[in-house]
Amino acid sequence: MTTAEKLRFDPIGALAERTLAVDAQVSNAWQRHLALSVPAGAAILAVGGYGRRQLFPYSDIDLLLLFASEKAAAAHKEEIAGFLQQLWDAGMRVSQSVRTPAECCELHEGNIELSVSLLDQRYLAGDATVYGTMLAKLPRFVHGQRDALVRHLSRMTRERHARFNGTFHHLEPNIKEAPGGLRDLQLVSWLAQIAGTTPQAFSGPVRVPELDDARRTLFALRGYLHQQAKRDSNILTFDAQEWIAELMGVEETAVMRGYFRSARTVHRSALGALETEEARASSLFAQFRDRRSRVSNADFTVARERIYLRAPQQLAAEPELALRLLEFIGRHGMRLSLEAEQRISPQLAAVRQYFTQPRPIWPALREALSLPHAPLALRVAYETGVLTALFPELERIDSLVIRDFFHRYTVDEHTLVAIQTLAELRGEKVPPASSFAGLFSEIEQPGLLVFALLFHDVGKGNRQEAHIDASLRLADRALERIQMPAAERASMRFLIRHHLDMSATMNGRDPFDPSTARDFAHAVGTVENLKRLTLITYADISAVNPTVMTSWRAEQLWQLYLLTYNELTRELETERIEEADSPEQSAFLEGFPKRYLRTHSEADVARHMQLELESRTRGVAVDLEKSGSIYRLTLVTVDRPFLFATVSGTLSSFGMNILKAEAFANRRGAVLDTFSFADPLRTLELNPTEMDRLKATVERAVLGRADVKQLLRSRPRSAPLSRKARIDPAIHFDDQASQSATLIQVVAEDRPGLLYDIASTISSRGASIEVVLIDTEAHKAIDVFYVTAAGRKLTPEKQAELQQALLAVLRG
Amino acid sequence: MKKIEAIIQPFKLEPVKEALKSIGIDGMTITEVRGHGRQKGHKEVYRGQEYNVDLLPKVKVELVVTDARLNEILSTLTTAARTGKIGDGKVFVYDVAEAIRIRNDDRGEAAL
Repeated sequence: MTTAEKLRFDPIGALAERTLAVDAQVSNAWQRHLALSVPAGAAILAVGGYGRRQLFPYSDIDLLLLFASEKAAAAHKEEIAGFLQQLWDAGMRVSQSVRTPAECCELHEGNIELSVSLLDQRYLAGDATVYGTMLAKLPRFVHGQRDALVRHLSRMTRERHARFNGTFHHLEPNIKEAPGGLRDLQLVSWLAQIAGTTPQAFSGPVRVPELDDARRTLFALRGYLHQQAKRDSNILTFDAQEWIAELMGVEETAVMRGYFRSARTVHRSALGALETEEARASSLFAQFRDRRSRVSNADFTVARERIYLRAPQQLAAEPELALRLLEFIGRHGMRLSLEAEQRISPQLAAVRQYFTQPRPIWPALREALSLPHAPLALRVAYETGVLTALFPELERIDSLVIRDFFHRYTVDEHTLVAIQTLAELRGEKVPPASSFAGLFSEIEQPGLLVFALLFHDVGKGNRQEAHIDASLRLADRALERIQMPAAERASMRFLIRHHLDMSATMNGRDPFDPSTARDFAHAVGTVENLKRLTLITYADISAVNPTVMTSWRAEQLWQLYLLTYNELTRELETERIEEADSPEQSAFLEGFPKRYLRTHSEADVARHMQLELESRTRGVAVDLEKSGSIYRLTLVTVDRPFLFATVSGTLSSFGMNILKAEAFANRRGAVLDTFSFADPLRTLELNPTEMDRLKATVERAVLGRADVKQLLRSRPRSAPLSRKARIDPAIHFDDQASQSATLIQVVAEDRPGLLYDIASTISSRGASIEVVLIDTEAHKAIDVFYVTAAGRKLTPEKQAELQQALLAVLRG
Repeated sequence: MKKIEAIIQPFKLEPVKEALKSIGIDGMTITEVRGHGRQKGHKEVYRGQEYNVDLLPKVKVELVVTDARLNEILSTLTTAARTGKIGDGKVFVYDVAEAIRIRNDDRGEAAL
């Protein structure tokens, strides 16, 4: 029976057997070369994996030659060389050190590895007295240096984990060094020995049989790897996966799922053991202080940067606590304590059961997913099973290996890394990443983006169905359950359906062929969709492996964004709706830019037509609705001078902060304006009657029955910006962008009433505003106006005059 | 033996790889590079600010081939990489003195 065959049945027995054989050879060499010349004062010890009797076929043989004094060791140099040579000649890879008992029991930076290796020491041959001297000192030494040893192991482990991005979900994992590998298994055993207890006491949230099972799997895999490569190889390559699967008579996916299950167990156990020891090292006082940490709330307490549940059985009794947990981690960026993890696990079935029913949890979820630490919240929830209890669809990508030359991670890990990449954009200051960071800061609902990423690949690994179709089907199921509103659901579906399109366009189309940007602009429809899709693409590509998003690739992506953005904002004038489905629709829609249809649902169009009908009798019709934290005012009236300025001024007079605005005019002179705004002083939220007063005031102002200048005098004032944040106004005229209008781009520091000032300045110079696009990026307002005078583009003189007037207004 | 160095448009990489594969050429080295020739840079206005893209993203494809197949491979490559517009790129051909397969020390054309 070969070693590999033995490993299949009893890896631990096979390793012990090999250890016995090596023991015999080492003892023999000792007898031949050293036993006679050094009868006293020298002994040979096995350390490291050999000391633990875990000798893999091609592992190094770690030996410690213990001499009573340095002088004695120096005197027997030749015999030592003969001893080692015999072992090398027998085909062993020996790695040895020569020490005195005193050296073994002292600690300094240079030899801390020696101290750790001694934890696994085992006597082989030689003078038992000198071994006894060392053995008598060792326990007291280890106990005395407990904190230093733990610190060292903790640092080494965290550095090692960081080299693997902190995850065991690699497609071709290193089963020794990666998180959840054999090193982590040793860590648990070392920490236990240092603490003077058994590994069982340290297994954290992991049960002992689980850990034993994981150990057997990792041992067997490493045994196979050595056997196949005929050397100390620890990487489970695709080839190795195939070979092992064949040998075991199972599918490769079964091999890998077995590995990932074991790695997860070992990883959690190692982190648990580390945490227990690190917690012990800190003082009781610190724990007391932390317990009262001010972020604790009615549901959770925080101690030593770890979250505890206040009531042990709460999750089963009140499953929506799971959402509050996501929110809490998302806000504060802390992991769960082991105790909380242990308590959550048996309650997951109840959570899962609860969420099989439709629950309107999207608003809470969106909020949680928009928070700065949402990626950590999702990771913790995923690792503890909370996320799959909420969304069982995600189980399909659990440790799923899809072989691909470029991909480094399993599908679930790829998903979590993509979400993390997106969140990390917030801190990017250097181009090209900073360009995407700017986009991310402009996104209205980052939570939706995160949720789309969570589901974008959930249909992978389904052999019967194309990946995107399957992702959409599974996402639909989840969206139905959480009762996501139709508009957001459409955005989610759009992002999942098209998440590969941008890469495909980047790699397959000529960016400078005008049809590329035109086609892509048509496919995405709106600037908001374009921004979201650009960010999804950036995150998705970056999460393939850590080196794939080169600045070269990021620039390509940014270029496609830029060309499409310009296409979307420039074609406003050129393409008009000529005909619609019904005569009524035609009457309303004719003359609107085609973009109007792409940016509005059928329900929107129907509502707008209703407003237009109302406006015929009253002169104006206003609609106001709230969506998340944003309000949207829609207004239909007959075009008139100063209209845009009037509405923006009225909104400012109520203290509203205008985020976006658009204006459309049809052939018959009806104008549809939409304003999205925030309510920073929460006026509308706290005083529901103000909603009606705002609508009424807008109507009166539009009809000329209220004076905007008067209204603005009584508007709430906001605090001025610090001098550092000041933005110099910039005005840019463009005659080329549109066929019939001059485009004015204004970049300025945002302030209340800004839009009113700009719009009224333009109107007061006899120019009319055809189309407006408003964007606000932190304190920077970026407004684009399509302006005509007497139905034509502005003359150079007019442009110069407007430039002066606008600068005067902006500089105040 | 000749070394072919082709600077092509990134979106032409897949067609070029496919075309070479169809005549039995699998091995090549691909590098992401930036540069410009007569195409010069490119200027875009984004929100009132000008973005200058002086150096455009390109892909460099390198492969070493036998003298006998050079012309066939060159014509396959250039046909696949061509759009007919400025910016399509360039191909350079060099003489190669020696090739060695590191694994087994094969020399010359046997190493290709």
